[in-house]
Amino acid sequence: MLNIKTIDDTTINERVYQLNLGPQHPSTHGVLHLLMKLDGEVVVEAEPIVGYSHRGHEKMAENRIWEQFLPNTSRIDYLSGLIYNHGYCMAVEKLCGIEVPERAEYIRVITSELNRISSHLLGIMAFVMDIGAFTPFLYGWDDREHVLDLLERVAGSRLTYCYNRFGGVRNDIDREFCDGTRRFIDRLRGRFSDYHNLITENIIFIKRTRGIGIITEDTALDFGVTGPTLRGSGVGYDVRKNEPYSVYPEFDFEIPVRKEGDVMARYQVRMAEMEQSMNIIEQALDGLPQGPIRSKVPLFIDPPAGDCYFAFESARGAVGYYIVSDGTRIPYRIKVRTPSFSNLFVLTRILPGNFIADCIATLGSIDVVVPEIDR
Amino acid sequence: MSSLSGLKEYIKEILTGSKSLLIGMGITLKRLFVPIVTVQYPRRKLTMTPNFRGHIEAIYFDDTKSHHCIACGLCMRTCPSHVIKVQGEKEKAGERKYGRKYYIDFTKCSLCGLCVDVCPEKTLTFSHEYELACISRWDGVIDIMKRLEERP
Repeated sequence: MLNIKTIDDTTINERVYQLNLGPQHPSTHGVLHLLMKLDGEVVVEAEPIVGYSHRGHEKMAENRIWEQFLPNTSRIDYLSGLIYNHGYCMAVEKLCGIEVPERAEYIRVITSELNRISSHLLGIMAFVMDIGAFTPFLYGWDDREHVLDLLERVAGSRLTYCYNRFGGVRNDIDREFCDGTRRFIDRLRGRFSDYHNLITENIIFIKRTRGIGIITEDTALDFGVTGPTLRGSGVGYDVRKNEPYSVYPEFDFEIPVRKEGDVMARYQVRMAEMEQSMNIIEQALDGLPQGPIRSKVPLFIDPPAGDCYFAFESARGAVGYYIVSDGTRIPYRIKVRTPSFSNLFVLTRILPGNFIADCIATLGSIDVVVPEIDR
Repeated sequence: MSSLSGLKEYIKEILTGSKSLLIGMGITLKRLFVPIVTVQYPRRKLTMTPNFRGHIEAIYFDDTKSHHCIACGLCMRTCPSHVIKVQGEKEKAGERKYGRKYYIDFTKCSLCGLCVDVCPEKTLTFSHEYELACISRWDGVIDIMKRLEERP
């Protein structure tokens, strides 16, 4: 724990040094701009400046039909595109009252959890690379490649999937996909011991993460932090468990929680969450029902006038779609609540008083996706 | 006394730390003897899965010796990026329309597959091509009818 006195205001102007971390810095995960005021190597003030990759997805939704917003959803958060796809379809189905066949729900859960694993693998490995370990990054990407191959087999693309449709999914999964998924889960379980030896028990990693960037429970709740970042601070809130949607209540899984609230805790929560995702996938594959994959839905849907809010859990936290329909084929408004925005702004509270080298570790552990902040 | 226990802790940490580093190096050393996982791309090529989404193309049907496009324009209307242009004509008055020209500007395509889903005649599919680099933006405009004629 650092115990550095805050600098009094009279000396700030003489001693303070302003540093722009980003927007073109390799460790800021995209175009994130952190404006930091430093006293030597110690951060006095940090301010994230967002908006560099604003594409206006919410405005785009207002001048296209409901179906045409589907490809946009996977581009809001490009690392967990399938989960966003899934959530948007569920929001519209909730508004229209469309029934989804059970097989389609199972397929959606399997693909979403695979997507969560790929996102966590990337998040963890990019974070580990930020603080200096390059080898685990390559190993993690090797594993992620297998997830992407599996998802490509079923969805057709590797990153920006447009796989879910209103009332079901686009393609059915085959035996080869199920067997491949089981093989991948066995493989990843075997690799976890390597990861723990290589990262979790590595002395350099421990020294750089334990006790760094502590987000207390109160701070996390004040800033509306969600996802693994919240669960690393001792709050066991997960939308999949607390407000269950889809077929998640049928599966037996745990929500990993750590009390410490530091960088290490968030890393451990993500590692544990991947194991839980693997449990969910195995249970879903065991209980995969037969049947249709898409219910009868008109070519272009006409939702009734009204609004609805639908929350779901992406790899980074709680996402919400607030959709308003005026009874036409074109949405009146689609508002997306994305988790990275609230997760990022907690940095203004926790970075002051830390060394600049620890800022990179803290930023990496929160695992922000910048296009998701800006939308 | 406290300084002595501190020293003990310090030495213990150095030893366990060094051990953890050696374990890590052992893992990387093991990796030397594992076959490579990457594909040596220009010499070896991947085959795409049946569901792979390239740009769209028309399916050849034996009954008409051509495609089944009726130039209804649903794909044109449902495309989120407005990249499809389709134009049809009637051979005789009172007959059904028949698709003559079909262009897609692949540089703006987001590969969502909505056009394939919406086609009433099911005459569209995805190609399995992935080597689509081009030097001019006009090279990205694909003439689907021409591709159908020149198919192998």
